[in-house]
Order: sequence, then C-alpha cells, then structure tokens
Amino acid sequence: MSNTATITIRPEFEADGIGKAKTDDVARKLTLFERILEMHGVRKLTILVLLIVAWEVYTRWSEVSAYILPTFSATAAALYEAIIQEQLLWMVWNSLTVLVAGYVIGLIIATILTTAATTTRFGNDILSTLTAMLNPLPAIALLPLALLWFGLGVDAIIFTLLHSVIWPVALNAHVGFMSVSETQRMVGRNYGLRGLVYVAKLLVPAAFPQILMGLKIGWAYAWRTLIAAELVFGGSISDTSGGGGGLGWFVFSSQMDLRIAHVFAGLFMVILVGVVVESVVFNAIENRTVRRWGMQAR
Amino acid sequence: MDAKNKAVAEKKAATANPILEVDGVTLQYKTKEHLITATYRVGFDVFPADRFVLLGPSGCGKSTLLKGIAGYMKPVEGAIRLKGREISDPGPDRVMVFQEFDQLLPWKTVKQNITFALQNGGKTSSAAEADDIAMEYIQKVKLAGFEDTFPHMLSGGMKQRVAIARGMAMEPDVLLMDEPFAALDALTRLQMQKELLQLWEDTHFTVIFVTHSIEEALIVGSRILVLSPHPGQVKAELNAHELNHDNVGKKNFSSVQQRIHDMLFADRILEDEILAETDRK
Repeated sequence: MSNTATITIRPEFEADGIGKAKTDDVARKLTLFERILEMHGVRKLTILVLLIVAWEVYTRWSEVSAYILPTFSATAAALYEAIIQEQLLWMVWNSLTVLVAGYVIGLIIATILTTAATTTRFGNDILSTLTAMLNPLPAIALLPLALLWFGLGVDAIIFTLLHSVIWPVALNAHVGFMSVSETQRMVGRNYGLRGLVYVAKLLVPAAFPQILMGLKIGWAYAWRTLIAAELVFGGSISDTSGGGGGLGWFVFSSQMDLRIAHVFAGLFMVILVGVVVESVVFNAIENRTVRRWGMQAR
Repeated sequence: MDAKNKAVAEKKAATANPILEVDGVTLQYKTKEHLITATYRVGFDVFPADRFVLLGPSGCGKSTLLKGIAGYMKPVEGAIRLKGREISDPGPDRVMVFQEFDQLLPWKTVKQNITFALQNGGKTSSAAEADDIAMEYIQKVKLAGFEDTFPHMLSGGMKQRVAIARGMAMEPDVLLMDEPFAALDALTRLQMQKELLQLWEDTHFTVIFVTHSIEEALIVGSRILVLSPHPGQVKAELNAHELNHDNVGKKNFSSVQQRIHDMLFADRILEDEILAETDRK
C-alpha cells in the first residue's frame, strides 16, 4: 500500500490488432553495389590493383634505377619469360616435391609424438620439454649442422623441414586432444567407443580445429624454411640433384646475374604458391569442415 | 491420500522387480587438493517405467550418483546393479542426456548424431535401418525438417530435443538425464517438461532425472528421492505420480512442495551454522 506513494500507476491495455509494419525495410534485398562491397575477394582485389598502380607510377615517375626497383610491367614480363623459357614452373615443382616429402615425414613423426604425449605422462613430459626447447629455434639455424651430417643435397633440406613441421603440428594436436570437452568424451564412451575407434571417431574430429591450425602453421613454417634453405645453398642443390634447382635457387641465381626483374618475379612466385596453398587449399578444407560444423569463427 | 499412494506403490512393487538397484553406495572423487565424499551409503530401487527423480541442493552428489549409474565412476562401497548385473563400465544400455549443449557432436548433423549412436552402440548395423529409427525419433521430438542441420544452427531447446531423441532412439534400459533443462529459459523449460511427459505417455520408458528444482521434480517425476548435502544421504523417498503441470499451485502440489522445501531448508540452516562455526575458529 505504501508503494502507491512512490510509483505512478497507469491504466493497463492490450493491443487488439497488430497491423503490418509500414516500413518496406523489414527485409530488403541488398542492391548490386552493396552486394559487391560485401565480397571479400572484390575488396582485396581492389587493394591489390591500387598497390600495383602505385608501384608502376612510382617507378616510372621517380626514375629509380631498374637494378634497385624494376617497374611492375618489367617484373610481369620477366615472370612470363621465366615461365616460358626458364622452366620456372618446373623449379616450383622441384621445391614442392621436397616440401611435401619433408611435410609428410614430419607429420608421421608428429603423430607418433602426439600419441605418446596423449596416452602417457612420460610422453607428455617429453613433448612439452622438446617443444619448449626446440620450437623457438629457427629451422634455418640447423642448416649448417644438417650440411655437416647429411652433406649437400635434398636430405639436409628435408632435415631442416622436419624441424619446422614437427613442433607446431605436434603441439597443436596435443593441445587439441587435451581440450576436448569432458561431456563429449563421456558421450563417446556412453555409445561404446573404445581404444583406436574412440580416437578416430571422437577425439580427432573433436580436436580438428586445433589439428588443422597446426597443419597450417607447419606448412607455412616449412615453406619459409625451404625457400631460405634454397637461397643459402641453392646452387649446390642444382648441381647434385641435376634437376635445375628450386624456386629459392632461381631468386638467388637471378640476383647473381643482376636480373633484378627476375628476382622480383621469383619472389612473386614464392608469394603466389604460399597464398594458393594457404588460402585456397586450407581454406577449402576449413569451409568443408570446421566452418560448416560451427567449430570456428568465420 | 497418503494411504492411496502407498497402496499404489506397494502394488507396483509386488508385481515388478526393480530394474536398477543402488545398494549402499558411497562415491568419492578427487580434486587437486581434496578427496570429496559425494554420496554416503545411498540406496534406492528404480522400477520399470519409473520417472525417478534425484532431488537435492548443489553438493548433494546427485550428478555424481548419476555418473556412477552411467558407469563413469566406481563406488568405493556398495554396488549398483542393472537387471541384477553389476555395473562396471559406461555402456549403451544406460544412455545419458547431459545439461551441456556440446553433448551433440558438432561435426555431425542432427540425423547423423542419432545414427552414429545407433550404429556404434550396437543397436543396428544397417545404415538404412539406423536412418529409419533416427527419423522416427526426430519426428517424435518435433524436429522434422531439421534432420540435415548441424547442431550449431539450432537453439538450446532444439539441441536438448536432439539429445533426448538420441537417448530414446537407443531404447536403453534406463535413460539418465542430468539437469537436461537447467540451461534453458523458463518458457522453453516448461515446454520441454510437457514434451518429455508426452513422450513418456507414448512408450513408458524408465528415466532417472536429476534436478535441483522442487517444482520440476514434482512435475516430471513419479517418485522422488530427496538427498541431503555434504555428503549426499537419502533424506526421503516420496511419490509424485499424481502431480503434473495441471496441479501446480493447487493445494496437494504446494503441500508436497512445502514439505520438501522444509526438509532441504532444515539442512541449509544446519549448514550455515556449521560454516559460521568453522569461520569463528
């Protein structure tokens, strides 16, 4: 009763018929221009075109030496020439085969380490200690040692690649397995999953976002390491393997010959391969898996 | 009233054997610093078609008890028997429905979540048959049209419906439900309670239902085990098979509600006194 002094009492009412909202904008189709702006690809392409135009305009107007910074058109011409006449694509292929070999062997070792770490406490200690020690060590710093142990050749490069693949892949997969929710583990056991079937049907898909993250990081590290290793002793690789060397070697030898436009063309190819693998291959995997499942933010 | 309830209960007990026997069960688990006794010598029998509710405040070990029945924990004392056979491991004859929404596997669609359970749980090896069973239960929980949707596209209530459909499709001896509606909003919870009772009318499955809400216990349950906290001990076993949504607020409903409330509240006062005592020391 004392409430009436402090609150304002108004009559109650019920709306007896709610009409349609008068605005047309409850759900309106976006215009063509709005839809184009929504496309990430279009926005990124615009930035790329602007950069290229700025590059071309700057190099032509400032008359900077072509040995320092060639024009975009010269670089494009060099790229075309290198692909047609100097088997640049073949060199990319050489690099990729070495990379894939190192990547696959690395994944096998990482799988063994992760299995040990996930199933036993000792394995867990081994993995965390090794990762803490070796992850900060740049793979390329192992190259001198690798040369000593394996000689000049593909083996030494693969050894350094292993180092750049194993730690990120094993660490991420291990964290992924560890962070599978207790509820999901209990669900799996409830429906009778045991042993390897439990791992394959429950733990791996549940930890897949982190596993994929590890695979991506491992790939990126390996690609950088490979190009760097080929730059350091690419010439020797081409001598011993006789296959014409890899992409890193192309960049290195072009610089030796003072064909600066070709250096730029080689670097462009390095970027292109990296972008294709990371944003096309891995993106496709992500779209079909973790994004579709709502296990990762868009 | 009480006499009638008692007669019904006695008749039931006389005609059927318990499907699940919990016999003087003490459950303990370890945290980083403590060994915690969750339940102490708890005993009860569950009969076929029971809607058996474990009710108590937080800390009374009701969820731990359910985990023991599911086979995730072994009792340090006593035994849990399903159809006379002692429980040692988790298995598809006792399917658990959890409170957490992530109990659905996010990489499987609604239908695949159910067929996955059916095929791995040894219910059927034929994919076509699993499909049929899954669709039947998807329709039962009113999710027809959503069978190919991934769980992250569903609302909380829909996710719990899928989990219930998955559990029921397995046709387990007992369905274990661990506060399945606790994370839902009040309106959805009411809806889900009604639907659960409708499903029970259909098939008369046996369910053990954990909750801390007295009202939910009375609505959902046919028999209620009231547990006291720290550690969980049996305080009372009550009948609630005549209570449902229709008598909420009526006299018979509120009197049982008040009775349980007093039982639990007495503990609360005692607990507060103990806490005050230990604080002083």
